[in-house]
Amino acid sequence: MKTLIALSWRNIWRHPARSSVLLAAIIVGLWAGVVAVGMVNGLMQQRIDYLIESEITHAQVHHPEFLAEGYSWLDIPDHDEIVSWLENDERVVSFSSRTITDGMVQSPVKTSGVRIRGIDMASETRTTNFHENLVEGEYLDSEIRNAAIIGERLASEHNMEVGNRVVLTFEDINNELISASFNIVGLFRSASVDYDERNVFVRADDFIDLLSDQPVYHEIGIMLSDEEFAAPLVDELNSAFPGIKAQTWRQLSPELSMLVELGGVMVILITMIIMLALAFGILNTMLMALFERMREIGMLLSIGMSRRRVFGMIMLEAFMLTIAGAVVGMSLATLSINYFSDAGLNLEMFAEGAAQLGWDHIIYPTLSIAEYAVILAVVVMITLLASVYPAIKGIRINPLEAARDA
Amino acid sequence: MTIVRTESLSKVYNPDTVPVHALRDVSIEIDESEFTALRGPSGSGKTTLLNMIGGLDKPTSGKVFIDGQEISRMKDGERIDFRLHNIGFVFQHYNLIPVFTARENVSFIMMLQNRDKREIEQRANELLDQVGLGDRKDARPAQLSGGQQQRVAVARALASQPRFILADEPTANLDTEAAMNLLDIMETMNREQNITFVFSTHDQRVIDRARRVITMVDGAISRDEAQQEYGLREG
Repeated sequence: MKTLIALSWRNIWRHPARSSVLLAAIIVGLWAGVVAVGMVNGLMQQRIDYLIESEITHAQVHHPEFLAEGYSWLDIPDHDEIVSWLENDERVVSFSSRTITDGMVQSPVKTSGVRIRGIDMASETRTTNFHENLVEGEYLDSEIRNAAIIGERLASEHNMEVGNRVVLTFEDINNELISASFNIVGLFRSASVDYDERNVFVRADDFIDLLSDQPVYHEIGIMLSDEEFAAPLVDELNSAFPGIKAQTWRQLSPELSMLVELGGVMVILITMIIMLALAFGILNTMLMALFERMREIGMLLSIGMSRRRVFGMIMLEAFMLTIAGAVVGMSLATLSINYFSDAGLNLEMFAEGAAQLGWDHIIYPTLSIAEYAVILAVVVMITLLASVYPAIKGIRINPLEAARDA
Repeated sequence: MTIVRTESLSKVYNPDTVPVHALRDVSIEIDESEFTALRGPSGSGKTTLLNMIGGLDKPTSGKVFIDGQEISRMKDGERIDFRLHNIGFVFQHYNLIPVFTARENVSFIMMLQNRDKREIEQRANELLDQVGLGDRKDARPAQLSGGQQQRVAVARALASQPRFILADEPTANLDTEAAMNLLDIMETMNREQNITFVFSTHDQRVIDRARRVITMVDGAISRDEAQQEYGLREG
């Protein structure tokens, strides 16, 4: 085997220029592919992290019908017991109870449908980093009564600014229509323009006073020490409190969950596209090498080298050439990804368009060990497929080629 | 003892279109320790006969026996394995592996036989010494002259310890000095180690030194004659 490896390796370098060109193509192709996959991954991971950390959290608790109906009387039963349960669970890092209902925001300019979110500033700040989205004015710790912060885009549509007043209209828990005036104390800008247009944040205490005689909560956002605890935690919550519906972030946001799966598919897809293009280069190089060595392979068969070994020798040549390129290409890609995962890749020119779609314009590429392994597996698989044809042609060579005149 | 025996060997190329009778009813026997030349003009069938004896090609009809085993009926894989252990080949164009050194070229066939590493190294060195290339063991074929390359080819053919060696026009590409040198080596091995050589040639220098000369014309044997013993001729 050692001799066969030595023979295959030296065969590759019979034509250094030809092999170097193919090697360079593999290196550049894989470098570009791996970095591209890392960027797609980074972009998706950032989106997921952002949504989890600023809004969704790892798990949420609701009244079973609240998410579908959105009525204020569909509040969480046994709220205090659930809070006590969460406080005693080691996996829970923090949680925040929210009072939420759908309603309308009215300004002198227009009326828009919004989701009004009453939050407790202390627990919300511990649980999410939504407060970091504030771009103007103050957060809800303002001393002004009935303070509200609204999305920058919503403010612009209503021609409103900090210090102006809006009227929020919604149904209380008794199905009565309530209208109240709120003072805009701040504007926020999240990664999603759509989210900015459809959400108004108020203090939970102010909101509860308007909705009910006693505290009502419609959502508990829970952050965990590890995302993997989400599924078992919600199972336990659902069995401990049958009147509620606890869900993981994947269940709450299937599109986000799909994004994670899409990332995995993208790794394979991008690598396959690049490798398929390179496969033709490998095929061409191997066929050229084979046709030049017909007489030599005929000699090897004549002196007693089995067709299985000839097949292995040709496959080994393609494999070693590709693996050499893959190792260099992937090492360069790792260096690039490591650099940009700290420094970030600033695509400022696309910032506005990216924000429209809810994406960040600074990308921190990332690639897991498993994804490197998947890329390597795809590279190996396609290389082997590309070299099967030359190898089959190789073993079909007639040993009489050895005696043929040059 | 007979090593090679052919029975009514025939080979027809393009039987359905333009039939070419490369061999016609050839029956020969080659004994151990022979130093036999197959002579004849181009197209006379000597290389075809050599290919049949070497198991590189299959006859249209007839049989080839090596040490009593009918190789003409063996499957492709069996014949490859049979060649590896029983037949040594020397080609007109040397056909060495260009990326291997002389020593590696000689060792390679023993590696294919899965022999012990130390034994391979020792035998490769001995054989290269025997063919007078003790000081060029690490040279690659491109660094060797034609005569030297053919001597490596002879060492390679001997490395597998075959029953006999087939050489197709071994001196065709060599100048007189290199050809004589190569023949000296082959003759010495034949005489001292009883190694059987069968070679196709139309080189008179080779024919003159063969002990048996089989002449072929139009695919058939026209003459089969023994020549003088070396000692007598040299004397």
